[in-house]
Amino acid sequence: MSVQSPAPQKKPWFIALLSALDGIFIYLTAGISTREFRAMLRGDAPGRPNTRLTPHADAFLLHIKPSYYHESVTRFTHTYRLGLLSTYLFLFETITGIILMIWYAPTPERAYVDMIRLLNNVPFGQLMRDLHRIGAELMVGIVTLHMVRTYLTGSYKPPREFTWLTGVLLLVITLFLSFSGYLLPWDQLAFWAVTIGTSMAEAVPPAFVGEIINLLARGAPDIAANGLLRFYLLHVLFLPLLLILFFFVHYYKVVLYGISLPAQEEEVGEDTANRVPANRRVYYLPEVLLDEGTFLLAVTAIITAVTVFLFQAPLEHIANPQQTPFHTVAPWYFYWLQGLLKIADKMWAGVIIPGVLLVMLMAIPYLDRNPSRRGADRRVATISGIVAGVLMIILSWMGTPAYAVQGAPALEVVEKLMPEEKVGISRKIGYKHIPLGTYDTREPITTDDAEFAKLLDKFVHLLEDWEEKAPDFNDPWGLLTVTQDQANLKHLRWEITWISDAGTEEYFKQDYWLHKGSYYWEQYGRKKFGVPEFLEMQNGG
Amino acid sequence: MRSLYVRSFGSKLIWGLVSSFVIVVCVGLTAQTEDTRMEVQTKNWEGRGIENGAVLFANNCATCHGQQGQGLQGVAPALNSRYFFTRRLGDVGQDGVMTLSNYVYLTVAAGRPSKDNSQWANRMVPWSSQFGGPLRGDQVVDVVAYVMNFEETALQQTASEDPFQPFLDVSKPPEFQNIGISADAEWTPVQLAVTSVLPMGDRDPDYLFGALACSGCHDLNEPQAPSSMGESGPNFGTIHELGTYRPEAAADPAAYLKESIMSPDAFRVEGYDDAMPDDFASRMTEEEIDRLVQWLLDPNRVTHTRDAGGNIIDE
Ligand code: HEC
Ligand code: HEC
Ligand code: HEM
Repeated sequence: MSVQSPAPQKKPWFIALLSALDGIFIYLTAGISTREFRAMLRGDAPGRPNTRLTPHADAFLLHIKPSYYHESVTRFTHTYRLGLLSTYLFLFETITGIILMIWYAPTPERAYVDMIRLLNNVPFGQLMRDLHRIGAELMVGIVTLHMVRTYLTGSYKPPREFTWLTGVLLLVITLFLSFSGYLLPWDQLAFWAVTIGTSMAEAVPPAFVGEIINLLARGAPDIAANGLLRFYLLHVLFLPLLLILFFFVHYYKVVLYGISLPAQEEEVGEDTANRVPANRRVYYLPEVLLDEGTFLLAVTAIITAVTVFLFQAPLEHIANPQQTPFHTVAPWYFYWLQGLLKIADKMWAGVIIPGVLLVMLMAIPYLDRNPSRRGADRRVATISGIVAGVLMIILSWMGTPAYAVQGAPALEVVEKLMPEEKVGISRKIGYKHIPLGTYDTREPITTDDAEFAKLLDKFVHLLEDWEEKAPDFNDPWGLLTVTQDQANLKHLRWEITWISDAGTEEYFKQDYWLHKGSYYWEQYGRKKFGVPEFLEMQNGG
Repeated sequence: MRSLYVRSFGSKLIWGLVSSFVIVVCVGLTAQTEDTRMEVQTKNWEGRGIENGAVLFANNCATCHGQQGQGLQGVAPALNSRYFFTRRLGDVGQDGVMTLSNYVYLTVAAGRPSKDNSQWANRMVPWSSQFGGPLRGDQVVDVVAYVMNFEETALQQTASEDPFQPFLDVSKPPEFQNIGISADAEWTPVQLAVTSVLPMGDRDPDYLFGALACSGCHDLNEPQAPSSMGESGPNFGTIHELGTYRPEAAADPAAYLKESIMSPDAFRVEGYDDAMPDDFASRMTEEEIDRLVQWLLDPNRVTHTRDAGGNIIDE
């Protein structure tokens, strides 16, 4: 594909240089000359022969992509580019993940300390961690939405049944990928979420098989060094490789059959995705490439902005197998499983129902024999899809602590004001807004500090609320004693006394300490512009 | 071509440029505040480490070293002490050899294996799981951070405010020469020996009272009255009249005392917290406890002087 050179004649040196540069350009773009490139930018039609197709034949990355699409499938509202976005997020996670790996060793002694070191000492370390975390959660969401879109457009119908099936496998791999990463920070959140998750495997019948699966996943009866290593290897090696493998199978099928056209574009039962009339072709180079490129750039911009200004990956206390946190929760995408566990036993909720759901999901193309992909013809499919979605949301809600879990009222009250993990009101208002003294909820609030007054007011109201809600929590009153235990360290003792329904006096006490330097940044957000102000607060103010 | 759904090159260019700009601005802002952010985070995690350490100290160390680190005579030395932060390292010959925080770390992690210094009722046990103790490595680090954080208040103490309890393994520091606490005059440490020298089951009550460090918290001579409350635990000077001032014990003082020793949490004397160790039932036989109770209730009880092995030497 070199430039046509006329009969040898002496060329000025700069022309020779230009044509040499052009040669390099053609070499790098696998077949596009600078002239053709300029034509592309101007939006000119390709010439004949169409040199814009050569890269698709010559370049590895482009040979995977079709050289042109049917105009109707390039509309944003057809695919919402969700498949592309899933692929991109995987790449995004790979890059941020490899960067994180530099500072991480998967042992219980080091994992958590490494996290702290990443936050304390590594420039952009926190940003990388936040990006990786948000990308992971987003990927789960986007892959699910991509499935919803292909379901609603009926794109799983023949000949794309197998595409769908590999898609379901990709969804499962994505979930496990995200879940296996959950353990790696080795904090309480991670440890207990994964403990709950793996304990479901135990329910696989017969008992000894469940035990073996559990043992294989955890590396020991309980998660410890071995379990962490296994999850790490799953997360950085095995699952990504598996995902790449199935992605290529999936995408090969997508290109082979072409992206399904919007149903109105073709007759019912027909599949004309691969027969694109010449006047409706949109070439990958340059139109679709530019479209995809700008779209991904925009998504990256949004993710970055959200991460910088709003999203902070949490890091709780170091994993402590001896201490179960007050409310343990699975990651949000497994809330539905936790919800199921509350209404059914482990065997049903952990094994049978999810297993049946998975098989049904894979079998959808074979169960739905309706040949039409048009919305009007698929009311049943659409409605059952929506019902399933709503059910999932309800189950997920039931999985949160909001539903049917309740600790002892006194514990719930303190947990709201100053939780064991997370931030809570007291840590939010912070060291300097918690004056020394003894505060009794039966006495009027007397404090000059408005923030602290709000906290005490909340204390009073929480006690009242729980008195109403809980029958064995009568005439409660609380005492908050704040003492200065050390320089820069305040000791908050929460005491609650109440009368049980048996008429006896009951007492609850919880001690917490608050250091001036503690920043609890999850709550404040990174507050980019405010950071120096916090430094001042930590130092003296 | 134009009839197809293809947005103009110009609009894509603008999209792309705006997005790139946003990314650059976000990363730029982050870069600008990275130094401060790392500083804030470092302080944050130091602070949280101390918070964790405070919980661990309250749960594991306060019974011996006192909640404020003030120490207990005959039980454990003060840590919230000017002496500790200024002279201790030199007195044990480690000045310039290691830092105080390493000294604390080693003591806490590995304990004090030797019982040479018999002024304390119990050994300081190893705390790190590495040496068979109950705390993980990170917990040892946190509790050490908490102990080291006493420094600021400790350095403000004058010699007479220092809750320092003289160590018998080092000479008396000069600044304590002329104040109340004196290593040779008023300070008469309980002379104790390895607790296992006398076989379990045969030990005399007065020996047990010292060997198990009851004496660290309970004074045998001072009366217990509102005006004279023992600081670490109730005084036992008037314990033979217990029934008159402790209504709960009126019916059967001996049974009450036995329960107090075997399960201290069963009844909490007002004005005290849960400092009393709750493992005595496993460290004494029941007969020993019964004899200890009888001894405590006896107004004419005798306390022998004993040698390092627990043998009586005053007869
Ligand atoms: C059973 C009582 C007991 C408990 C509980 C205890 N210690 Fe000690 N500790 C001692 C004794 C006794 C010594 C003095 C040992 C010696 O000098 O031989 C000591 C010494 C120390 C020292 C060295 C003091 C010095 O000046 O040399 C430090 C530091 C210390 N303890 C910290 C702790 C911490 C932290 C904890 C909680 C994790 C703790 N101790 C729990 C009894 C105790
Ligand atoms: C670390 C300090 C500490 C040690 C060591 C200790 N106690 Fe106590 N003891 C207390 C405190 C504090 C109380 C009061 C709170 C309570 O009732 O639990 C108490 C209460 C008691 C009471 C009830 C006294 C009353 O007035 O009701 C008895 C009896 C008693 N201790 C005996 C012993 C004996 C015997 C030992 C040694 C085997 C011992 N204690 C060791 C701190 C200690
Ligand atoms: C990591 C996860 C996944 C990746 C990276 C991925 C990638 C892609 C891509 C790039 C396309 C091209 C068209 C488009 O963007 O919609 C596609 C199409 C498709 N995907 Fe996925 N996918 C994933 C998961 C899934 C899942 C979970 C399902 C369904 C269960 C699924 C089912 C399909 C189907 C049926 C098509 C064909 C759509 C059509 O022809 O209109 N995929 N996938």
